[in-house]
Amino acid sequence: MLLAYIARRILWTIPFMFAVSLIAFALITAPPGDYLTSFAATLAQSGDIVDEARLDALRERYGFDRPFLVQYFHWIGGVLQGDFGISFEWQQPVGQLIWERMALSVTLALATLMFTWAVALPIGIYSAVRKYSIGDYFFTAVGFIGLATPNFLFALVLMYVAVVYFGADVSGLFSEQYQDAPWSLAKIGDLAAHIWIPVIILGTSATASLVRIMRANLLDELYRPYVTTARAKGLSEFRLIMKYPVRIAINPFISTIGWAFPQLISGAVITAFVLSLPTSGPLMLQALLAQDMYLAGAFILLLCCLSIVGMLVSDILLAVIDPRIRFR
Amino acid sequence: MIRDIEGVAPRPVRRPTAGLMLGAAILPLLALSAGAQEATGQAPALAEMVEAGSLPPVAERVGDEPEVVEPLNAIGTYGGDLRIGLRGSSDHNHILRVIGPQGLVRWDPEYTEIVPNVAERFEVEDDGRVFTFYLRDGMKWSDGKPFTADDVLFNINDLVLNEEFAPTPPRYTSGGEPLQVEKVDDYTVRFTFKEPYGDFLAELASPLGQHPVLYAKHYCSQFHPSFNDDVQELIEANGATDWQNLFLQKCGDLEIPARWGNPERPTLDPWVVKEPYVGGATRVVMERNPYFWQIDTEGNQLPYIDRIVAPIDQDVESLILAVIGGRIDFGLRHIDPPANRPVLAENREKGDYRFFAAEPPGGSNMVITLNLTHKDPDLRELFNKKDFRVALSVGMDRQEIIDTVMLGEGEPWQHGPFEDHPYYHEQTAKQFLEHDPEKANALLDGLGLEREPDGVRQMPNGEPVRFQVDVIPTFDPVWVDALQQIEQQWAELGVDMEINPMERTFFYERTSNSNDHDAAVWNAKQSWVAGQIPQMLVPVHHDSRYGIAWRDWYLSGGENGEEPPESVKERLRLYDKARGLTDPEERRQTMLEIAQIAADEFEVIGVAKAIPTYGIVKNDLMNVPEKMPSSWYYATPSPTLPQTWFWKDG
Repeated sequence: MLLAYIARRILWTIPFMFAVSLIAFALITAPPGDYLTSFAATLAQSGDIVDEARLDALRERYGFDRPFLVQYFHWIGGVLQGDFGISFEWQQPVGQLIWERMALSVTLALATLMFTWAVALPIGIYSAVRKYSIGDYFFTAVGFIGLATPNFLFALVLMYVAVVYFGADVSGLFSEQYQDAPWSLAKIGDLAAHIWIPVIILGTSATASLVRIMRANLLDELYRPYVTTARAKGLSEFRLIMKYPVRIAINPFISTIGWAFPQLISGAVITAFVLSLPTSGPLMLQALLAQDMYLAGAFILLLCCLSIVGMLVSDILLAVIDPRIRFR
Repeated sequence: MIRDIEGVAPRPVRRPTAGLMLGAAILPLLALSAGAQEATGQAPALAEMVEAGSLPPVAERVGDEPEVVEPLNAIGTYGGDLRIGLRGSSDHNHILRVIGPQGLVRWDPEYTEIVPNVAERFEVEDDGRVFTFYLRDGMKWSDGKPFTADDVLFNINDLVLNEEFAPTPPRYTSGGEPLQVEKVDDYTVRFTFKEPYGDFLAELASPLGQHPVLYAKHYCSQFHPSFNDDVQELIEANGATDWQNLFLQKCGDLEIPARWGNPERPTLDPWVVKEPYVGGATRVVMERNPYFWQIDTEGNQLPYIDRIVAPIDQDVESLILAVIGGRIDFGLRHIDPPANRPVLAENREKGDYRFFAAEPPGGSNMVITLNLTHKDPDLRELFNKKDFRVALSVGMDRQEIIDTVMLGEGEPWQHGPFEDHPYYHEQTAKQFLEHDPEKANALLDGLGLEREPDGVRQMPNGEPVRFQVDVIPTFDPVWVDALQQIEQQWAELGVDMEINPMERTFFYERTSNSNDHDAAVWNAKQSWVAGQIPQMLVPVHHDSRYGIAWRDWYLSGGENGEEPPESVKERLRLYDKARGLTDPEERRQTMLEIAQIAADEFEVIGVAKAIPTYGIVKNDLMNVPEKMPSSWYYATPSPTLPQTWFWKDG
């Protein structure tokens, strides 16, 4: 039953991915103008003169003048063979550009997810069990501040304080000597020493909302008759709470994994921008601004795939944890 | 603010300048000591390599005719890094500005005369039709291969004039024909134009004028199908789409990031790329060019500084934090808006830096251009009435704008060169500056624009007097703030202006390409000297947003766009004439004639005089001038020769 559900779920993602890729490509080609307009605008900004006839010749060479569907199938055909096309801005194959950045993005996203859980889960449980205690009020207050502060603002304040009062540099993910160094244990250590700052910045608001969700859900469960029954049977309070109400209340955590993935990556663009993180966000933003079609397309497509995969993962996990799910 | 170095004599009095333009056959002045000075000094690391036999001696590397450069304050010492901050992923021109456009000629530090650079000297003959450049004997590319006239021919004939390749138009055409280049001998090249081309030298000195010496033939020709039959293999091996893409990937172009993306590409620059500027980069590192062709007056090879290190900060705010935190040694680009000055000034001690002034050569920080070739006939008719434009100008309270959004700096100004500049034209700069709402209202009344009950005036067709001003908010943060005030000031006149902020590409597409705008904001920092395009006087440029259809007409030779009125045609004719003139005084007179016509037409509404901005430089960094001109055409700071900068206790 469970396996059939998983298989059906996986099969469904394939047409879904195609639909998503079509939409992604349509979105990228939607704005007026194309990469060459943007290129001309860049040249214009520094005072160069751009000849329209030459741009048209380039347009023809890059195939921008062809119909949308022709361009799309040309693109997706390449993608299926692992060729993401060329980045016009960098004159480099897109494949060369994205992988390392995507890897760092995923690392950051996973670290943030773990941080969020590690903090939100115990606090949520504590807040529910010790409702209206001083500790509950404290975490509620902190949580609301975390929820209300935009991440990028938090990042700016933290950077300012770090630079002006402590003389420290909190931007980036690596120290200078490791920036272009090959991967090594020392470089991973350096990454670990830097990554906690964006993790905290990105994690705060998600943590705050998860604390509230956990608290509310758990409160719903805590006074159910089965809890009273279990308590009457002499189960210790800790085991009791962990084994039954928490297991039910944790449901939203699992179901949000799906959107945690793309949200962490795309939602972190501005923060990554402020903190100069070498993740996918800033490169994607730049590609979108420059209408660097294939580069932006690759990012959008990967983000979409990540969310689809994320949804798949959370659906499967949910089905495992909560048997009611698999029967529709 | 610059600390004096004890015991160093002040810089000798400058040699007499030859005016704004070099006239025919005036020989370059800095070349006199070339060859008289032996290259003897070099960086310790290079000396070790020579010792070990992996590098030829310094005298051999710089060739027989290195350029001898007199450093600003002192002879330097070798060593250290110069950290500059790049912003985002598309800031390649920042590198260009520090490394310099190492063209055949360059501007002197004062931005008043053109001096030889890669060329050892040059001659102008036949009224500016023929330019002969004498290259430096024995000069080398950064990989040690000789640099000769063949490289220049390759650049011009196989790339600049190659229709299949050049994504930018062939500059350097005159009388409808492209320039001709010929090799006189290995170290002499001659450029010939059909018509006189007085501005040629100034164009060569600009950042976009490096084409003749950009590519090393021995390296870059392997990516060119005319020289390599197996180019297809290279295309496939590098994942390129075609040979043009491959070529750009490997050898770059003047103004694309890929120019700094290939450490193997030989250059003539003082520093060459080590950690390249590619999509995934978080910093760029450049190392000294062991074959660099300039030496100081004591025979030491330049540059003094070992490396340029450019960390990439995505955001201006974090760039400023990097400055405050002392992690940037030289900064001007991006950090210089007036709003940042207090925080930069406050943290001078913490960041261990001082300020230098970056002075625009003239003009205005902000001009508003109404679209005089508007597609809507009613708006076009309205905009084309000079009284309407005058009413908008005198209906603007410039002093209030300056006091509130420009921190009190600057003075009311239309556009054009400053008072102390030879090209200064009073009427262009100073007409219609007084704030006089009564006069403005009277002018608008005179145009028959009646006020409706809601206070907004009406055009004869019953539509309200309403238009949008397109603006890029990220380009200059002051623009939108100023527009908000202007919006209110004009609203009092019954003119309903809307601010229309947009992203750069859309702005360009709307205003400069498809002519869909009502009005637009831009800057006009020009002094009209040779090499600068006077786009606010004549519609010849995409920044001439008052007459894009006229510009199309001019650039297409009358095929596209729209035939302009007589006043514009007269100015275009004079501009073509001015570009050919080699006599500085004659050129000045012609430009002032153009300015007079433009001033009478009053097409462009300026706000405030362009004020100097300030960059930062580390206290221990020497030979950096206290002030320098700030202009793209000058490529600040490269004509002040960063290769002569050095660390005091380096």
